[in-house]
Amino acid sequence: MYKYAIRRLLLAVPVLLLSSLIVFGLMRVMPGDALTALMAESGNVGERELQKLRGELGLDRPYHEQYLIWLWQMVRFDPGYSIFTNEPIAVALKKAVPVTVELAVLAMILGLAIAIPMGVLSATRQDTTSDYIGRVVAVSGLSLPDFWLGTLVITFAAIWFRWIPPLGYASLWDSPWTNLQQFLLPAAVLGYRLSAATMRMTRSTVLEVLREDYVRTAWAKGLGGRMVVYKHALKNALIPVVTIVGGQLGTLLAGTVIVETIFALPGMGRLTVEAILFRDYPVVQTNVMLVAGTLVTLNLLVDLTYAWLDPRIHYR
Amino acid sequence: MATHDSAPHALRHGVNRRQFLRRVGWSGVGAATLVLGRGRRVGAQPASRYPDWIPPSTKPPKRGGTLTRASAWDPPVLDPRLTNSVGLFQIASLVCNRLVRYPFADEATGTADLTLKGDLAESWEGNADSRVWTFKLRKGVKWHNVAPVNGRELVAADVKYCYEQYAKEGVQAFTFGEIEGMETPDKYTLRVHLKSPNTMFPQNVAEAVTVIFPREVLEEDGDLKKRMVGTGPFVLKEHTRKVRAVLARNPDYFDKGRPYVDEYTILSTPDAATRTAAFRTGQSDFHWVASLSDVETILKTTPTAVAEEYKFLQTPFGLALAQDRPPFNDVRVRRAISMAIDRQKQVDTVYEGHGILGWGIPYIYFQDAKPTAAQLGPWWQYRPADAKKLLAEAGHANGFETTLFYYEYFPQMTSQVQLVQQDLKKNLNITVKITKLDYTTYYGRYAEGKWDGMAWGFKTGYAVSLDEQTYQYMHSKSTKNYFRFADPVVDELVTKLRQTPDRAEQRTTTRKIFEREHDQVLRMWMPYDPGFLIWHPYLRNIGALAIRRSDGYGSSTLARLWIDK
Repeated sequence: MYKYAIRRLLLAVPVLLLSSLIVFGLMRVMPGDALTALMAESGNVGERELQKLRGELGLDRPYHEQYLIWLWQMVRFDPGYSIFTNEPIAVALKKAVPVTVELAVLAMILGLAIAIPMGVLSATRQDTTSDYIGRVVAVSGLSLPDFWLGTLVITFAAIWFRWIPPLGYASLWDSPWTNLQQFLLPAAVLGYRLSAATMRMTRSTVLEVLREDYVRTAWAKGLGGRMVVYKHALKNALIPVVTIVGGQLGTLLAGTVIVETIFALPGMGRLTVEAILFRDYPVVQTNVMLVAGTLVTLNLLVDLTYAWLDPRIHYR
Repeated sequence: MATHDSAPHALRHGVNRRQFLRRVGWSGVGAATLVLGRGRRVGAQPASRYPDWIPPSTKPPKRGGTLTRASAWDPPVLDPRLTNSVGLFQIASLVCNRLVRYPFADEATGTADLTLKGDLAESWEGNADSRVWTFKLRKGVKWHNVAPVNGRELVAADVKYCYEQYAKEGVQAFTFGEIEGMETPDKYTLRVHLKSPNTMFPQNVAEAVTVIFPREVLEEDGDLKKRMVGTGPFVLKEHTRKVRAVLARNPDYFDKGRPYVDEYTILSTPDAATRTAAFRTGQSDFHWVASLSDVETILKTTPTAVAEEYKFLQTPFGLALAQDRPPFNDVRVRRAISMAIDRQKQVDTVYEGHGILGWGIPYIYFQDAKPTAAQLGPWWQYRPADAKKLLAEAGHANGFETTLFYYEYFPQMTSQVQLVQQDLKKNLNITVKITKLDYTTYYGRYAEGKWDGMAWGFKTGYAVSLDEQTYQYMHSKSTKNYFRFADPVVDELVTKLRQTPDRAEQRTTTRKIFEREHDQVLRMWMPYDPGFLIWHPYLRNIGALAIRRSDGYGSSTLARLWIDK
């Protein structure tokens, strides 16, 4: 297994290199640059002055030089400074990453807490009212986009309950209650969407497993319903579910962009979108690489989880 | 007229079934009329049920309380040399002062009152030819009691240094570049020598973007990106990007007893629905709303809120044409295009009947009443048949193909662009290929000025002064002449205007500039709805003034706001 993990990690290097080339190239293809964005709404800035500033920021160097400089920075884990705000990128990430991680983890917990019990319920009570409700919930979750759901939730919370999460951001450690209020609704919005696919997968795999011989044997032995479903059927049904959940992490990170904007949370999503809009090359590139690295790692972890779920699986 | 103390209860309606049906009925009639293309009122704007001016409170002000606003703007940097962005000046207007300012809501006689008041300067006067301006500063004005200035006194040399920096680089270079030299005969006197006469120089240094910053911060940090220190009513206590800016009352502010509120928090809230929700739940005390129907929707759920129609006297957006090359260098083509665009249709449909038709220079500089459609001149009337004839005379009887790029500043803009496209195709057989761009691409291309065809153009939003609106936006040599026109008559008139001290003569010259612009269709202004300001009924003296929104470039007026709870 160790060999497998090391091989996968080595394979991640070309993946990350390719990602770095793509993001670097795409950013340079986009018209405009950070200085143009900074001067926006302003006017009055001559081309000579812009050239001078570009020179100071190294934006006038050949692309391959810019790329190699940046790559070296990434290797040294020193992403440099934001062109736009002059803030060290590491500092910006230190502020943004915990927000997104908390949102993603909460969303995942809420999503799984909804999806798995409902999926099991739907499967064990197939074609009953509970199953129909579960399926409608799942289809709605798949169909309703985050931006719509988020806007609806915040608008109706304001109208009906005269309450919305406190705006701004309070850290979990400094003010846990305020933090929870700020994160619960956005995590629920994200989690609901996440739960839809997971629930459908749980339902179908549990249905499939419930028809297996060993489950019939368990019933025949006189085991209780809970024991059969949760001990014998569910664990075996979880492998495809884990694959789905792992695959949804990308969707989850994409979803945070919208949800963070609607709920005014200062996470990675907002940081990245703003950096793209303002052509803040180093910030976008660093963020994309961070996300790429995270996804590669998580996919590896998902693969490794299979062995725990199914002892028949061996890595070579 | 409603006052702050008697909030206009009569204004707080929702829309009932009968009203809805009536509106739908009228909309149907309107739509039918539009289709038929006849029998419409031109230039009509239905009277809004909301006042455009709410006089200041007559009650004695109360001290204390916290003011909060959910804001769309989140300034990336705090350096006023680098940007004119409204996001920065919603903060800078309260942290810093200028030499001169426009009246606050509790001093103004009305929305159009643009009488200059002293800010850091107590008095000012120009010499005979308006080339030398002398400003006498207030004594005892202190910088905020924070490092590195630690409450030291502001002196004339500070202002001199600041203006020199503005002239040296950045977005104010054009304005301050006209300064030939400065001297400080004593600690409290600044004498500014201009390269050419300008009777309106004090107006230029009253603009929200000309704030005075301390030398020490620039020298220590090398820029002003991270710290903002000033002499203003509020001290910047915290600025966490994408979260909040917290402004705390400056106890040493020179205007004793002010500001009234202890703290003003600006919450970074990029989503419009969230800002509205924040207002509804009381997390935000005041809120700008884009359209009439939005105001009514909000008042339905928050019936105690007070709404003010924002009286905007100018239009920020219009159709910009590459006038330095064919076919748009031919005035007949410009006139034909202008006549082929149905502006009233845009007002009626896109702006729910509440927009202004669009003109360049704020009308208060040359007349008292809002211009009628007729006053905009013959080329600004919707006359498709005449337009077609004129275009044929210009040699384009079969129309032509062109491009138009724009950035969607607000959702209605896309509809407007599409209506223009439709009108030009239908009336002149001009095929317009539209490209919607993101902000940075749009801005870069537009400001660079090398584009071809058409652009949905803008002029910067902060400007109040007549000089800014004329010489700086319209002179062919100005870097702020975004609409890319070079008209020798306009050049002569705008230069003459800044040499004219007499108010009456200024108005006459300004009218000539206005008429010349419209006759030559140099900037093709498009309808615009400035929107509304709504606030909770306990706020006093928050009303917006002409050209200045109290949540944006006009934020400095919040120094006079108080909370009646």
